[in-house]
Amino acid sequence: MSDQPLFSLRNPWFGASVGITAAIAVLSAVAGLIWLPLAQPNLKLAGVWDAICSAAGVPRAAVQETGIKPDFKTSNVVMTSEMLTKVNQVSIGRGATLAQRCAICHGPQGVSDAHSPNLAGQFAAVTYKELNDFKTGARVSVVMSPFAAAMSDQDMKDVAAYYAYLPRVPSNNLDTGRPAPVIVVTGAPMRNIAPCGSCHGDVDNKAGSPWLGGQSAVYIKAQLEAFASGARRNDISQQMRNIARQMTADEIDQVAHYYEAQP
Amino acid sequence: MASETDHSLGEAVAARIERRWATLSIVIVGVLVGMATYIGIHQATMPQGRVETADPKTLHLSGEFVESNLGSEMQADGSVTVRAIGQQYSFTPQCIVVPAETPITFRATSADVVHGFLIEGTNINTMLVPGYVTDLPVRFKAPGDHVMPCQEFCGIGHQGMWGKVKVIDKAAFRDMAAAKRRLTCVD
Ligand SMILES: [Cu+2]
Repeated sequence: MSDQPLFSLRNPWFGASVGITAAIAVLSAVAGLIWLPLAQPNLKLAGVWDAICSAAGVPRAAVQETGIKPDFKTSNVVMTSEMLTKVNQVSIGRGATLAQRCAICHGPQGVSDAHSPNLAGQFAAVTYKELNDFKTGARVSVVMSPFAAAMSDQDMKDVAAYYAYLPRVPSNNLDTGRPAPVIVVTGAPMRNIAPCGSCHGDVDNKAGSPWLGGQSAVYIKAQLEAFASGARRNDISQQMRNIARQMTADEIDQVAHYYEAQP
Repeated sequence: MASETDHSLGEAVAARIERRWATLSIVIVGVLVGMATYIGIHQATMPQGRVETADPKTLHLSGEFVESNLGSEMQADGSVTVRAIGQQYSFTPQCIVVPAETPITFRATSADVVHGFLIEGTNINTMLVPGYVTDLPVRFKAPGDHVMPCQEFCGIGHQGMWGKVKVIDKAAFRDMAAAKRRLTCVD
């Protein structure tokens, strides 16, 4: 016994154990890679090789079916959290010149009392996205659309960089002692409303969500109502319409006045 | 002489025990493989048969997950395909409407981070992973309302993220589908 080599086909124990292990492996592979996939009719497999590949997890791009195209313009901005976060002095300089024509409504320092959005200190990606959406028609404004239509992509990036560079200025209604409404801090989980602060900056910032502090209450309210009614639809995949639809008129009022009073 | 007999006796006992243990382990492995096969065939677990990719950054630009293509679609063979996306912090469509007693395929993906896809009161429970399409064949037995919470922590607003699934009568769904090609129950 002891002089017999262990790993040898002449050793019946070795032969049997390796043979049985291999048989189990082959049977399991046949079951997992061929039988199980083919037993799922909805997979519509082209054959055994297709079954093996799909079960083994070979990725393939989702089939581009001819789905239903939107009957309105949607935003075509590809939003990432790194977008326009690099400070570029040349861009800011060009933006400062271009922004002169924005000053009538948005103020020479990016702040005004005209109920148009205050842009000083706004994230560059946000300003760029809105300009781009005005240009493509995803967002419509009698005043803004013609301005944006005349801007090149680089113009929009420059203006956005300039406003991001300007320091934020609090509104005349600044009141930091104002308690934050429940909807801002905890949202309304029972109505599918995440806290405003989880995207708009107080707690966390989601790419593309504007900083709302010091923004005109009239403007915030108008935008929330437009999202709720569907009059404004340039939020990517309904991310803001889903929220605004569920908000009560009272909540809209509360957040509008709260954010106006923030720095 | 006596020691020689003891030796061969001991060898026989060892061989018998070894064979029994080997048989037992083989049976255990066999049962486990058989169990996995059985639940796979009877769809108690639904491992996805295919790995399909979709770029989370450009879902809204083209392909099947553009806003206007989301919702429930009646197929020519009478089955229903539901397309949805999860994003921080909501599902679109916010309310999914499907018929009872009908084969349904859920196709969903995430536009940002990993989200959960769970329909309460059913065994539907999977993940929406950015970059990949979740494809799930299901069937609802009876009409009723279900909540669909995101069950994978996806950020600070996670607790507010959930959708609704309305299972309605087959005939009522067919009437709705005749009027509109993508159905939702968002009010
Ligand atoms: Cu989530």
